[in-house]
Amino acid sequence: MGRLARAMSGLAVAICWHAAASAYTASGDRNFPATLILPQLAPGDEFYLNYIMLPLTASGAGSANRTSSLNATWGKTITDNFGFFIEESYTALDIDGGGTQQGWQNLDGSLRYLAVNDLDHEFLLSLGLDRETGGTGAARVGASPSGATTPQLYLAKGLGDLDIGYLRPLAITTYGGMTVADKAPRPDVLNTGFTVEYSIPYLQSKVQSFDLPDFMRKMTPMTEVLITSPIGRSYGARTTALIAPGVSYAGDGWELAVEALVPATRATGSGVGVTAQLHFALDFLFADSMVGKPLFASP
Amino acid sequence: MRRRDLMLAAAAMASTSAAPRGGAAAEAAGSVVGLVGQCVVERGGRPTPLKLGDSIAVTDTIAVPADGKLKLRMSDGSIISLAAGTTLTVATYQAAGGQRQNAQLSLAQGLIRAVVAPVERPAAFEVSTAVGTAAVRSTDWFIEAKPGSAQVGVLSGSVVLQSGATHREVTIPARWGARLEAGRDPVEARVWAPQEFQAVIARTDVP
Repeated sequence: MGRLARAMSGLAVAICWHAAASAYTASGDRNFPATLILPQLAPGDEFYLNYIMLPLTASGAGSANRTSSLNATWGKTITDNFGFFIEESYTALDIDGGGTQQGWQNLDGSLRYLAVNDLDHEFLLSLGLDRETGGTGAARVGASPSGATTPQLYLAKGLGDLDIGYLRPLAITTYGGMTVADKAPRPDVLNTGFTVEYSIPYLQSKVQSFDLPDFMRKMTPMTEVLITSPIGRSYGARTTALIAPGVSYAGDGWELAVEALVPATRATGSGVGVTAQLHFALDFLFADSMVGKPLFASP
Repeated sequence: MRRRDLMLAAAAMASTSAAPRGGAAAEAAGSVVGLVGQCVVERGGRPTPLKLGDSIAVTDTIAVPADGKLKLRMSDGSIISLAAGTTLTVATYQAAGGQRQNAQLSLAQGLIRAVVAPVERPAAFEVSTAVGTAAVRSTDWFIEAKPGSAQVGVLSGSVVLQSGATHREVTIPARWGARLEAGRDPVEARVWAPQEFQAVIARTDVP
């Protein structure tokens, strides 16, 4: 049991990622590409797979020294501005001293509501409510017997409406969420984060078309930052901060993105990890079917 | 009147590259099935007011005034609605047995909605603007031309929008739209907000 408690402490940040659906969305001529460690901005019809690997700071023999997870997420819109996500993850923990623990994380579902979409100013504001169902995952890989609920706020702003020349392709997204545990000993956690991205497709289509190679025309370099801090009684959890520089490539109806995972604190991890994501836009690939459009669409 | 002449002149310039060569007799392309305001067709260099039932021929340039709207039924069954302030030239419209073979329109300015009739064989339906060309097979869609830009919205089917300058394309599926600015790649397609569709539907709704 002591081993598990230590592993759970080291996994706190990883579990937060699993609860974070990631996907593209758009406002005006601005496309915000799928993010990998921050939650998505708005509801969408989409499916994606996300892989993460991060070396952890082992706290002695029997504790986890590396986590690897594969996460699958399906998103469905109910109306044009409202939808839900369901996601599940399978985790493998490498144990210091030998051996691997494997199992499912808790089942996670969330609602998203796009409250403001200012097309001219490339600005989005949306609200979310995430619910992790406790006890549905394997305790040996850190899944908590306690569930948790996370109200969320998302903001995104493209800088294309500003007179700043070649900086117009820049965009910033921010995220805040408060995870409230159902019961002890799971701590409540404040999640905050932001993304800075520079869209080369936006540069080519809205600022100036350069004679770039094809693959570069569809790339968006970006850096994500995620910080989690226990609020109130921590039960051994500590503040974590993760910096994730990488790049997203957008195809017709799909995106592929890769980021490095750089822990900013010892509690976050012990070395550089990696995350990769393959995202399918069902609303593009199956645009004329119910798979790709809201259950109640207008017009 | 001066504004209408300017619109027709602009249409003639925009359609120069798409117009058929030689002095062949104009082919029937469609007819007027809905009309609001004093819409005009320029044929053989002479502007003539349109009325319900009038034929539209290849090489005709149609101008819709600021307070008008126009709906055409083409020879292949396609329906084209023109919003106020639109100037459109029928550069090519070939159909046989009700089946479209080749259709090329030139949109100098304004907004059109095209409900393109399906065909059994691949057949072009293209709308060119000053900044690029949109091509479809069977779909319900909108294209709007403004000075220095164009935008496309798709209700069903899909449209390929190509930049005239860079020749880069973007595919636009149903419920999505995209813009194109002069001299640049097309903007990435995105899901259009309901209010965007409602706006263009209202502007092209001809009683």
